[in-house]
Amino acid sequence: MTKVEFTNLDKVLYPEANVTKAQVIQHYVRMAPRMLGILKNRPMVLTRFPDGVDKQGFYEKDMPLGTPSWVKTFKKHSESAGREINYIVCNDLDTLVWLANLAALELHMTLSKTDKFEKPDLLVFDADPEPPASIDEVVDVALMLKEKLDDLNLKSYVKTSGKKGLHVLVPIVPEYTFNQTRECVHQIGRHLALESSLVASEVSKPKKPGTVYIDYRQNSHGRTMVCPYSLRATPHATVSMPLDWGDVKKGLKPEEYTLSAVAKSESNPWKGMLENKQKLEKRVD
Amino acid sequence: MEEEPMEETNARIPKRPFWSGAVTIGLVNVPVKLYSMTFDKAFSFRFLHKQDGQPLKYQKVCVKDNAVVPWEDTVKGYEVSKNRFIVFQKEELDAARPQSSQKIRIDKFVDYLSIDPIYFERSYVLTPDKSNEAYSLLLTSLQKTHKAGAGRITLRTKEYPVLLHAYKGAMVLTTLRYAYEISDPNNLEELKRLKEPEKKELDLAVKIINDLSGEFDITEYKDTYEERIRKLIAKKLKGETIVAEKPVKEEAKELMATLQETLNQLKKQ
Repeated sequence: MTKVEFTNLDKVLYPEANVTKAQVIQHYVRMAPRMLGILKNRPMVLTRFPDGVDKQGFYEKDMPLGTPSWVKTFKKHSESAGREINYIVCNDLDTLVWLANLAALELHMTLSKTDKFEKPDLLVFDADPEPPASIDEVVDVALMLKEKLDDLNLKSYVKTSGKKGLHVLVPIVPEYTFNQTRECVHQIGRHLALESSLVASEVSKPKKPGTVYIDYRQNSHGRTMVCPYSLRATPHATVSMPLDWGDVKKGLKPEEYTLSAVAKSESNPWKGMLENKQKLEKRVD
Repeated sequence: MEEEPMEETNARIPKRPFWSGAVTIGLVNVPVKLYSMTFDKAFSFRFLHKQDGQPLKYQKVCVKDNAVVPWEDTVKGYEVSKNRFIVFQKEELDAARPQSSQKIRIDKFVDYLSIDPIYFERSYVLTPDKSNEAYSLLLTSLQKTHKAGAGRITLRTKEYPVLLHAYKGAMVLTTLRYAYEISDPNNLEELKRLKEPEKKELDLAVKIINDLSGEFDITEYKDTYEERIRKLIAKKLKGETIVAEKPVKEEAKELMATLQETLNQLKKQ
């Protein structure tokens, strides 16, 4: 059924939630039909926790030693690493299962694809609360953002980050550079910040208490975002969960989207997203 | 290896006869051809060199100096005791071999069902060679009398006792083991000390046997190893890679069920 040889299936990776590696693999297998479309041809960065989330994990950009020959990789020079990196590309169920078996709990993906690596096909707005702001404020800001994007005639898609915030994505034609998409996301953030004191559009240190920061900097070459349906390395095995905009309202509790809670979910709020490639021209004044 | 794996049902009859000659009963000759009818196993594998996939051959190697010894430099030895041999030249053994006569000589006719199947070795189908009538006459008379012809045949260099009998509208020759090739169970010490069973226990055991009695049907028994290998061969012929799957552990069962579900779902997409 799979090319992957499972190892240590009964190992507990989330001690507090008592989640084993078998359950982690099962989670990714269940989510695969909804994940594989968006993962296709996107270089991945893994966060691995071979000894569980309460122990030290590590980032992995380069393909690990012992990567089977059937796993697709993408060779690219990495500025930060200063050398050639062979990124993992997850185009099939076997690769996804293999990643899960590596205890790669968090899967992160680039915003562009291997065939046009310099031209992203996604805009991402990463909205994060700065206490005492909470998810309630993030919901408010996300809804303002959606309205703004609707005005610009851009259809947007939303997911929980799996932690405290929300990610809003806009699929686009891969014709713009990262400089252009980053500038676009930044500008929309600035517009919102002018309209609401709740929104912070600029990096500031320390962060302004009680605001929601819309991070635009992920829209950069080689940067990644956590994949939809990816687990997070949180004590309760939360998931970065795609939502219907209708579910983004007061009372939303991102921490309730845990591995066991989403196991039964079958809906696909992002259906048709990848076919909906939008142009940005004349939309931002 | 055949180009295609074996069919699900019976092993097939080979295309060429294995032997041809005549059944002789007194002065009567019935010309026949012989085809193999039984097969020891469905698949035979050859050993290949792991690195380059080339077939390997056997060589005779001297145990003393590991030198490869060519065929013409070999003789046969009978080991009388550990590492003590009596040597035979090839000519000496050949002279002792029976003459191949191309004949199946039938000595007498016996009640087929009275023969203990423990003696049965291999079976061959006979087909008529040239004359149809003689074959048909012999076959029909065997069917009518439920008798089998007992006799002998020389195949290659060995003489075998044989039975000639009717089977599914054909004459079949079954070679038999010699008496010396079968051990007598009564020589086993454990069997000499068997106790008489109690009547009550015996009655119960007989009842169980009667309850479980039925017709024997060989197709109720499947060689699962053979079936799996046949499926793997079919896959490999189509170029699919075969992944060795370990037996599934308990904790992986649910995982495998989910995997199957997802595979079905992905197929539909």
